[in-house]
Amino acid sequence: MSLIKQLWIAIAIVMSLSLGGSLVVSTLSARHYLEQQLQVKNLDNATSLALALSQLPKDPVTVELQVAAQFDAGHYRLIRLTGPSGDVVIEREYAGPRNGAPDWFSRLIPIEARPGVAQVQDGWHQFGTLTLESHKRYAYDALWVGTKQLLLWFGLGGALTGLIGTLIIKHITRPLRQVVEQAEAIGERRFVTTPEPGTMEFRRLVRAMNTLSERVRTMLADESRRLEQLRRQTQHDDITGLLNRDQFMNRLDSVLARDDARSAGTLLIARLGDLAALNQHLGRETTNRLLRDIAAQYAAFAVPHGDWEAGRIGSSDFALLAPGQRDPAAIASELAQRLDTALNVTAEGRGIRLPLAAGAFAAGESRSSLLARVDSALAVAERAGERAIEIATESTTALPFPDPQAWRTALTESLERNDIRLARFPVLGPDGTLLHYEAPMRLMLDGTWQSAGYFMPWVARLGLAARFDAAVARLAMRETATSATPLGINISAESLADASFRSELFTLLQGNPAAAQRLWIEVPEYGALLHQPEFRAFCLALRPFGCKLGIEHAGPRFARLNDLHELGLDYIKIDAALIHGIDSDASSQGFLRSLCTIAHSIGLLTIAEGVGTEAEKRALPAFGVDAMTGPTIEAPQPLQASPAPGAVRL
Amino acid sequence: MFSRPCRLGNSALVRLAGLCVLIGVGLATAGGDADLMERLAGERFGTSGTASVRAWRQMIADALPLDDLEKLQRTNTFFNRRIRFDDDAAIWEEADYWATPLETLGREAGDCEDFSIAKYMSLRLLGIPADKLRLIYVRAQLGGAQNGLSQAHMVVGFYPSPHAEPLVLDNLIGEVRPAGRRPDLLPIFSFNSAGLWIGGATASSADPTTRLSRWRSVLVRMQQEGLQ
Repeated sequence: MSLIKQLWIAIAIVMSLSLGGSLVVSTLSARHYLEQQLQVKNLDNATSLALALSQLPKDPVTVELQVAAQFDAGHYRLIRLTGPSGDVVIEREYAGPRNGAPDWFSRLIPIEARPGVAQVQDGWHQFGTLTLESHKRYAYDALWVGTKQLLLWFGLGGALTGLIGTLIIKHITRPLRQVVEQAEAIGERRFVTTPEPGTMEFRRLVRAMNTLSERVRTMLADESRRLEQLRRQTQHDDITGLLNRDQFMNRLDSVLARDDARSAGTLLIARLGDLAALNQHLGRETTNRLLRDIAAQYAAFAVPHGDWEAGRIGSSDFALLAPGQRDPAAIASELAQRLDTALNVTAEGRGIRLPLAAGAFAAGESRSSLLARVDSALAVAERAGERAIEIATESTTALPFPDPQAWRTALTESLERNDIRLARFPVLGPDGTLLHYEAPMRLMLDGTWQSAGYFMPWVARLGLAARFDAAVARLAMRETATSATPLGINISAESLADASFRSELFTLLQGNPAAAQRLWIEVPEYGALLHQPEFRAFCLALRPFGCKLGIEHAGPRFARLNDLHELGLDYIKIDAALIHGIDSDASSQGFLRSLCTIAHSIGLLTIAEGVGTEAEKRALPAFGVDAMTGPTIEAPQPLQASPAPGAVRL
Repeated sequence: MFSRPCRLGNSALVRLAGLCVLIGVGLATAGGDADLMERLAGERFGTSGTASVRAWRQMIADALPLDDLEKLQRTNTFFNRRIRFDDDAAIWEEADYWATPLETLGREAGDCEDFSIAKYMSLRLLGIPADKLRLIYVRAQLGGAQNGLSQAHMVVGFYPSPHAEPLVLDNLIGEVRPAGRRPDLLPIFSFNSAGLWIGGATASSADPTTRLSRWRSVLVRMQQEGLQ
């Protein structure tokens, strides 16, 4: 029972006790007063009648007239004159009906007034005893009317008090409700603060809660800072601050293995000519400054795009990884122009050689093949000139559709035919329990089931992401409605910013709340970063549906999400780039451990993506990873529906 | 023995209406705590008070085994001899004050009501039922029946039977005489306690109507002084 209800009951009991008590007391005292009045009247009237009779002649007619006149003109129930030996001389009694107050009332609160008695004298002799009793009807009527009025006033007073009491209780307990909400928020690992109320006890409580909330928030912020520091130390180049070679290659692998819209893109490498000579000629200081200038341009170029990466992959090689960017020539010339502008400021800068090569890649291409293509283009550029740009040849993989229009037609036709299905990749805990199945989309194109990495870049490029995501959500809801298996689906960054998609998703989830509980919805980290306000709103809107909400491909930028702890997320999937070689890479281990600690402290499950070797699989639980997915992770029992042919997974 | 008649308060008769019926309150069952009375008399009025009360107790004790007529005579004589007649104004410095028997005995003085009350209470203590007794307002003819001078007065009447002529206990004439032998007195009104409070309810000093009545306040004070 709620506190307010209990307070209400307490007020009601106190009110009815006090009002009922005073009703009884005032009714009884009114009765007592009436009894006294009646009695005094009985006594006084008996005495004055007896006095009058004593003075008058005692013939029967005079006595009877006297008594009758008193009886008829007054309000009496009985006037009786008895002789000295007890015989009735004359008697008048009212026999009419008694109305007014109901009988039950007269029985419940009887008015008892003793009759008045007086002696009548005839000279020295006794003439008789006079007994006189007033009629009690008017007393009952007065008592009845008074009680009714009192009851009415008490009723009104009670209602008014109840009304005021409700308002006061509401006012008093408002801070309590806020405290409860805050406590629940902390329970959900959201650390919000509440304005301090006026009531002393509540103020102390709220202050304590705010302190707690603030302390945990600060602790988390410190931890994030430490994590970032650690990451920079282990994954970045000392001089330029860009990713080091290992990390860059891990990211490249991870992007190439992706199964979504960002699995295609561009790799760009610039090579600073003759670093050793520059060192000798300009000195280490100046050379390092030059390196940092170049790196700054790379970083400035990459950062606005969320998941673009810049790295120093050799002592003189600067690389840029641009997932989702399919036009190498465009970004190559743009980057070259920025580099030129920056370098030409100084004389040393003007003199340096910085040839540049770029190459587009698509899902499924191996890292070595891509690097080889870009490398050979870079060699061409080096020969071509100081600041030459060379675009690498396209991958040998034949494209099924010659131009965007053909892609659009093919994609929309497949979607309209409903030629889609969901693949199943298990996400398992260390002990083999199933968390959910990742269910990426498979689309029938040209008679073959194609994986998402194959067509999603085109879907994104053609602006169809929201439609495809909606189709996936519909399918996933249909499947979770008929089976108890939880499914995980991706929402692309473009869909996140699409209002019509969001409302369609909410309608779907509302349609079957039970099935929605088995849905794990994840958004790529770069999407969450790019559209932070939308992502925030999305998280808050999804929370009531009970579906799980997570971030996939989480990596170093994870901590950059503002107010992560207030979003009410359920899990993160840690990018394969971090997981790769975790069993042997000490620097990554430290970072992963901290990342898991932070995630756990705000109540997130941590899931490792792309677990590719048994060694990784064995090592991961020790760093605090709660579950794993990837090529080596297999379903505990044979799947009903086998994965789509040709499905490529991490 | 006493030449001066009693002077009732101006409004005594009017007030009587409320008073007369209350007489029975304390008197329905006559009895008392004589020791308490004696002690109180000593505290309030000194040794003379104690002596008066002691004498009164002795009189009651002596009269108890006697017949009704002798009880009347003893009582009448005791008070007429022991108590000096005086005005309320002189004794109590009030225009009209109704004293309890204890006060009357303590001061050894009183006016006609004080005499009547003290006699009435003594007779009740001696076991005479209330319905044979009346406190009677009378008009007293002063200086003989032909004299025009008359005065308000109070006496105690004793009715041996309901229809009989009463015996009058008065402080103007020391002898207990039948009413027929008192042509100087004209009865106006009488009251007693007979049949008033069936069930023996007693007056309480907490009842606000008690204080409105001179007679009733006497009764309550009597009760507090040990005379019931």
